[in-house]
Amino acid sequence: MSRAASIIDAHAMLGEETYLSLTASELLRRMDAAGVSTALARPLGAGLIVDNRAGNDLVLSAGPRIRGLVSANPWWGDRGLAELDRCREVGAVGMFLDPLRQGFFPTEPAPVPFYERAQQYDWPIVFRTGAYVFADVLAVVEVARRFPTIQFVAGFGGFADMWFEIADAIGSVPNLHLDASLLWSDGIEEIIKRFGAQRVLFGSAEPRNRYAAALRTLDRLELSTAEQEAIFHGNATRIFHLEPLR
Amino acid sequence: MTRIIDFHTHLDERWLHVKCDSAADMVRTLDRFEVEAACVFTIMGFYEPCPAHNDALLRRADQYPDRLIPFATVDPKQGRAAADELERCLANPRFRGVKFHPWLQAFAASMLRDTMLDVLQIAARHRVPVLLHDGTPPYSTTYQVANLARWSPETTIVLGHAGSADYVDAAAQLMRDIPNLYGCYCGPRAGDLRRLLDLAGPEKILFGSDFGAAGWRLLPERIDNVLEAGLTDQQLELILAGNAARLLKLDERPLAQPLLPHREEAR
Repeated sequence: MSRAASIIDAHAMLGEETYLSLTASELLRRMDAAGVSTALARPLGAGLIVDNRAGNDLVLSAGPRIRGLVSANPWWGDRGLAELDRCREVGAVGMFLDPLRQGFFPTEPAPVPFYERAQQYDWPIVFRTGAYVFADVLAVVEVARRFPTIQFVAGFGGFADMWFEIADAIGSVPNLHLDASLLWSDGIEEIIKRFGAQRVLFGSAEPRNRYAAALRTLDRLELSTAEQEAIFHGNATRIFHLEPLR
Repeated sequence: MTRIIDFHTHLDERWLHVKCDSAADMVRTLDRFEVEAACVFTIMGFYEPCPAHNDALLRRADQYPDRLIPFATVDPKQGRAAADELERCLANPRFRGVKFHPWLQAFAASMLRDTMLDVLQIAARHRVPVLLHDGTPPYSTTYQVANLARWSPETTIVLGHAGSADYVDAAAQLMRDIPNLYGCYCGPRAGDLRRLLDLAGPEKILFGSDFGAAGWRLLPERIDNVLEAGLTDQQLELILAGNAARLLKLDERPLAQPLLPHREEAR
């Protein structure tokens, strides 16, 4: 089936983490093979968790078709905020936080100044969601309630075993959106039917997942043209303030 | 395209308030994606008394004895009755495995060690694999499930999701280190499969989809996860069918052919 003319991948990863590894040149090769025009990439591994400057430089230097979702571990405090300031100057389009790997509850005080900085910069925040305890998607909902002007994205869509919470989570606040990269098609379809395609973003989760698998998952939903345009590029363009298609 | 055996599906009337596919629906989906056979598990038997659900699963699977392979489920919280129920089920050679879902069945194996050892020994005596949901705390972490393989080295234990979302590296290490521990690749993605292959080898990985618990699209999604991992033909054959055929002893005991033409299940 045909897809939208332009595809923006709202969640790719660069760097190395345990057994996952992806360079910018290899991501570009995979994007070209899949017909993906732009990818929003965040750091993996040490670049995400402790050495944020190195991880952020990796995603920020990969452009122009790869845009940086930058991160600073909230436990770095003022040093982390200074890193975000630096990233803004060199073109970051949003913030990525991984409460599981970075070790914080989304609702505790440590990350609050980081949310405030995102609000100041009009940055969306992509949270990794899914694993219990730190990455509970319902904790992200609580943050979204407290910061209603920030747009949030539920990275990985609660995969795997918070799948039964993700639809109601998306529906409970207007500023939380689904990264469809790892959720199965029935779960994605439920969100589209209940809350509209404007709440769903195409993501690949490369290098954990593969573009072909993520795209075919959405193809099987037999989306309308308007739904495809929203999910494959319109929503990402709006939420991340990307340059519109010409 | 190599043959495919799906080692992880569910065949039940409903999952809580959601109606599930019938046996006929399931076989139509298997046909559509060229899957020759599927291991089928209960869902409501995780919540309700097992014997009636084992009987119902067998009735459904018996409509397609050449395609659907039932696994029995027992409740180890029932103590001796669980072992007796497993003996009852495995006396029927149609049951070729045992399925547990400790998360939904609400038990920690370590709190029921004696019963679990009895059950694992029964499975070993009948030479059938035991598949358990893994990847979910607090009762189904990959480490908890792998421990069962250490408790009973004679029993073939299968991680139902090969680590699922968060335990893939742990699953790969444990499958490498424990000879009788296997992983059903059901949920993790192509990048994860490469890790499972690198550490545990292709002989320890079995394809599974989990479809039946969700709609038909889960089957092609999970086949995609295998096909997009860049495997060799030999690796594909082992993971998609060969390892399952070996654990299910299909060469030794081929699946029965239906006595009567297939009939549509009343819905």
